[in-house]
Amino acid sequence: MGGTRRRKSSGFERRIARWGFGFVAPSLVFFALFSFYPILNALYTGFFDKRLLSLRRPAFVGLRNYAFLLTSPDFWNSLRATFVFTLGTFIPLVLVSLILATFIMQVRRGRKALQIAYYSPAVISSVVAAAIWLSILEPRGLANQWLNALLGTPGIDHRWIASAVNVQFSAMLVYFWKYVGYFVIIFIAGLASIPTTLYEAARIDGSSTLQAFGRITLPLLRPTVLLVSIMSMLQCLRTFSVQYLFVQSGAALAPINVVTLSIYNTGIRDRMIGRASAMSIILFIIMLAFTWLQFRTSRADETTF
Amino acid sequence: MARGERLTAGQLAARVLIWAVLLVSAALVLTPLLFMFTASAMPAVDIVTMPYRWIPRGFHWQNFWQAIKGNDGSFMFARNLVNSVIVALAVTVATVLLAGIAGYGLAKFPFRGKNAVFLLIMSTVMIPFEAVMIPLYLVSTRLGLQNSYAGLIVPFMVSAFGIFLMRQFLITFPDEFLDATRIDGAGELGIFTRIVLPNMTPAVATLAVLTFRAEWDSMLWPLLIAQSERMKTVPLYIVRFASEKYTDEGAMMAVAVLASLPMIILFLSLARYFVGGAALYVSRKG
Repeated sequence: MGGTRRRKSSGFERRIARWGFGFVAPSLVFFALFSFYPILNALYTGFFDKRLLSLRRPAFVGLRNYAFLLTSPDFWNSLRATFVFTLGTFIPLVLVSLILATFIMQVRRGRKALQIAYYSPAVISSVVAAAIWLSILEPRGLANQWLNALLGTPGIDHRWIASAVNVQFSAMLVYFWKYVGYFVIIFIAGLASIPTTLYEAARIDGSSTLQAFGRITLPLLRPTVLLVSIMSMLQCLRTFSVQYLFVQSGAALAPINVVTLSIYNTGIRDRMIGRASAMSIILFIIMLAFTWLQFRTSRADETTF
Repeated sequence: MARGERLTAGQLAARVLIWAVLLVSAALVLTPLLFMFTASAMPAVDIVTMPYRWIPRGFHWQNFWQAIKGNDGSFMFARNLVNSVIVALAVTVATVLLAGIAGYGLAKFPFRGKNAVFLLIMSTVMIPFEAVMIPLYLVSTRLGLQNSYAGLIVPFMVSAFGIFLMRQFLITFPDEFLDATRIDGAGELGIFTRIVLPNMTPAVATLAVLTFRAEWDSMLWPLLIAQSERMKTVPLYIVRFASEKYTDEGAMMAVAVLASLPMIILFLSLARYFVGGAALYVSRKG
């Protein structure tokens, strides 16, 4: 394209436009290959009884994969495990990170150090986080020692991994620990964007700190709270590593058999590609619904100062 | 509250409470990390002593030897660590370059359908990787990409978030600057590599650390595509090590320390980019 001469401005504009599109084109090709094509492929494969490594032509089964899943107790258990994990993780995440962020904004010194301390678990990988906690939750580990000291019940094993109820809690604990600092940082950014003049005005009007929090901070922070809620929810719906490591290390599968784990086991271990694709589409639709909710709520919440 | 201002008893109590909550939470958050570091220096017997000794009696270096050697003495951990570094670095470089140039194109070049293209790119954030991994796996195996670096790297070479970040940053880049270099006869690609890229360090650093962190953490895709031990990455090694029957508790924590050390060093030296990157989500609508 070097030969183009600038005879008139429209020629220059056309040249610029061509370069602009050329710069975006590699990414467009990438997304076509690695996002749009695979999701359409999953939709298509979901209608077939496709098996991995099978030379037989996959048979068209229409909606039978979906019908199977929606009547399968295992799949409903996966949905249950995913939603229990999501609810049990994202609600404490949002509440605790909001409280910690508000408190950090109240202190003058040490803000940076506190942020770094809270954020630090987010930089180590999920599998490492799960491995550390597996060690802490051992029958003779730190968790039992501390809880027994707290409850005054020496020598009791609380079966953090072995019990079907507790293992769900343990998975939530790992995830909560890893991400709480991440959301603290996001809330701090949201809080910092609220003009301090509003608080000064409130103080002159004679309102207390607590009143200012309820009347100014919370309403203005609503968009951030919603954003963080949806973001953490979407992230929890995609959880895989913690549950996978737990199961590989001997935990029972059923209580923590989240949808992603179920897709992996169905598609790769059991080689039922068609059924796994149908599961992927169901997960996609659930997440799409939440994303749509995010767009709607964030649009309704445009705040101007 | 200005410095030196007198505090009422109530305000003082509130301050003490706030500091107590902040410090106790920080201690609780840091406890598992401290546990990882101390346990990695202890023989397995000491780790389960009651009460737990927060100061190891000595440095039990055998844990680290065991971690590197592996339970089967194959030294696969070193190889997997190298794989992780190669893959994470390659994905990071590719993402910065591809997202940088796409963000530049979207920010500074008017062309027909630009907004539609931007929306199309942003819509991919709604397609979770977990929903497309099975088809991606099928395509990759058909292309012969299993157990190869290409297979591990290529599906993650750019992200919509990266393009968004670069575009937001470059929108405020001065046009006069670009026009001046154009008049000097510089080519468009040269302008990007020599003028634009060196002037967007904060955005590049933020995107780079976020991408590297995500890749270091990535486990699901390597689990599908890297089946041979030699092509596995660190998270897969950890899973294998943790699930082996007679794994030593201390050696396990030594593996965890070695797997985390690169990230911890990166984090401590570039903390502001990690923290700034997380905070970007709030200004997302802007």
